[in-house]
Amino acid sequence: MQQNPKNHEPNPSHFEESQGTPDQESPTHRNLTWDEYRDTIKGMRFFDPHIHMTSRTTDDYQAMFDAGIVALIEPAFWLGQPRTGLASFKDYYSSLVNWERFRSSQFGIKHYCTIGLNSREANNEPLAEEVMEILPLFLYKEGVVGVGEIGFDDQTAAEEKYYRAQLELARQARLPVQVHTPHRDKKHGTERSMSIALEHGLDPAWVIIDHNNEETVRSVLDQGFYAGFTIYPFTKMGNERMVKVVEQYGAERIMINSAADWGISDPLALPKTAALMKMRGIPDDVIRKVTYQNAIDAFAQSGQIDEADFAHGLEIDQSQKMNGNTILRGGQQPRIAKESLFIN
Amino acid sequence: MALSDSFTVFHSLLRSQLSPTEYDWLRSKGNASPLELMTAFVAVPRFVARQPVQASAEHSQALAESIEGFSIEGWSTVRLSRVWLLSRLDSSDRETYVRHIETLFDTAEMNELVALYSALPLLGYPEHWLFRATEAVRSNVGDVFDALVMHNPYPARYFTEAPWNQLVLKTIFNDKPLHKIVGLEARANPALAGMLSDFAHERWAAGRSVAPEVWRLSPNFFNATLLEDMKHLFSSRDLSDQRAAALACFQAGSAPAQALLAQYPELEKEVQQKKISWADLEFNDLNTYATKS
Repeated sequence: MQQNPKNHEPNPSHFEESQGTPDQESPTHRNLTWDEYRDTIKGMRFFDPHIHMTSRTTDDYQAMFDAGIVALIEPAFWLGQPRTGLASFKDYYSSLVNWERFRSSQFGIKHYCTIGLNSREANNEPLAEEVMEILPLFLYKEGVVGVGEIGFDDQTAAEEKYYRAQLELARQARLPVQVHTPHRDKKHGTERSMSIALEHGLDPAWVIIDHNNEETVRSVLDQGFYAGFTIYPFTKMGNERMVKVVEQYGAERIMINSAADWGISDPLALPKTAALMKMRGIPDDVIRKVTYQNAIDAFAQSGQIDEADFAHGLEIDQSQKMNGNTILRGGQQPRIAKESLFIN
Repeated sequence: MALSDSFTVFHSLLRSQLSPTEYDWLRSKGNASPLELMTAFVAVPRFVARQPVQASAEHSQALAESIEGFSIEGWSTVRLSRVWLLSRLDSSDRETYVRHIETLFDTAEMNELVALYSALPLLGYPEHWLFRATEAVRSNVGDVFDALVMHNPYPARYFTEAPWNQLVLKTIFNDKPLHKIVGLEARANPALAGMLSDFAHERWAAGRSVAPEVWRLSPNFFNATLLEDMKHLFSSRDLSDQRAAALACFQAGSAPAQALLAQYPELEKEVQQKKISWADLEFNDLNTYATKS
């Protein structure tokens, strides 16, 4: 275990390279304990428009439900290592509309997804060609609320080729687009992503530019796009910085997400940020827009989101329950008494 | 099997359940090329509003007659439309037809899988879908499992004994309503009765219970072990267990079973006078996992 923070390599996950190690930038998490502040957001509901639940545990699902997350979007993504064949793409997409959607429902959280070829794997052109052929089979499915996450990573020619091709798919399927912006050469990559989307005739109100920071947000909003902000420890936005962004830019077309995945990340980023905003005096209606409503407005343009499905809690269908292996019994989430020695 | 009849019923049913615009869209897709039809199968919810199907008694009866045991209870308009589209897929070339259906299975989300499994009794080359059908039994998604196992005549007709027994066991294991399985009693067999007895012993060892209606699968295969199980049930504090034992012993009819039943005259009278039947033990919301205190 590496103890010296100066030698600490940030986890190369959703955000492969940090823009500063933890000791260089101001801390993103002060020692305010979540348990003390969760009461400040009691009764609030949250919609996380970017989170990779396939990498998360049932404990996370329960904690998210308890903290007020009622719905989420899981963008198609890479798995931490490159896939070697079409079948693993197919199975992954299939799991997003099938098993993961079911698993989420059993914890009382409505699960949507976006489907796309991610930028890293766009660089394997022979495989990318095959993936492009099967994408339409998934884009028209129920609960697929956009094409995503697509865009640039290294900003190669292959990435641009498949970004453009998928923008065309989104136009044909009349789906919003969830754009991943690169970690390196970010400002340029973000501008390039937007100008290509406009070149393809997309309405910027149908395009969510994700992973913004203080340097990119103004241009994104000025051009009429939605601006996503990812609260992700160490390598991306901390939530104190997020509060300042909201104070400066207001709530219009801004949405917050966790992008929690298989790296060190936090599936409670939304409720925690909401609590912090509340503490700092940001009005409830602003908090609601950036942690719930704006994401719904943007992605509901797909025609695939009916807020009534989750606004008052997801109705857990008893006929869906599957005992033995999983998950729900008698309409209650079974809870393990974690402090107990006994397992029944 | 008069498939043409079921197609006529489906047509008439769809007309009664869909709006004219929805019906016209669906009908045009039903006559389209295979690839267009398959895309339409996926896209149904974009063109057909999801509503519960409210079939008339005539429709339900006609369906059950044209395909024995077939039921659309609990179906939505989306599921009905999808099943109808599948029934319209050109099956003249076996290889092409199978490839198309396999593609739909391979890329299906939950509701599509439900429609695909519901449609099995209508598909061409029915024996080809056996492996797919056993995959539904392996599924952990409740709706997918139910689409094959509940109110679906396909398994009873095509499953061999081993996968059939797995289907029944998994239904019991998951606290699903056993009585919704088509052909349940006709496919009862001694191997299954033995497995159910073993299963009950494990549950009882864990301080848990067993759905009382499982014992309806035992009367024709009574042996010393099952007779001991009946004694256990008669001594249960749960009246449903006692009634299950009484019904099973009565149906078994063997001398030892009758002698055992005679020790419980009130229960004996209930079964002799047909005051109780297995239908009284058909529960839909079971929780046999709760540990008995």
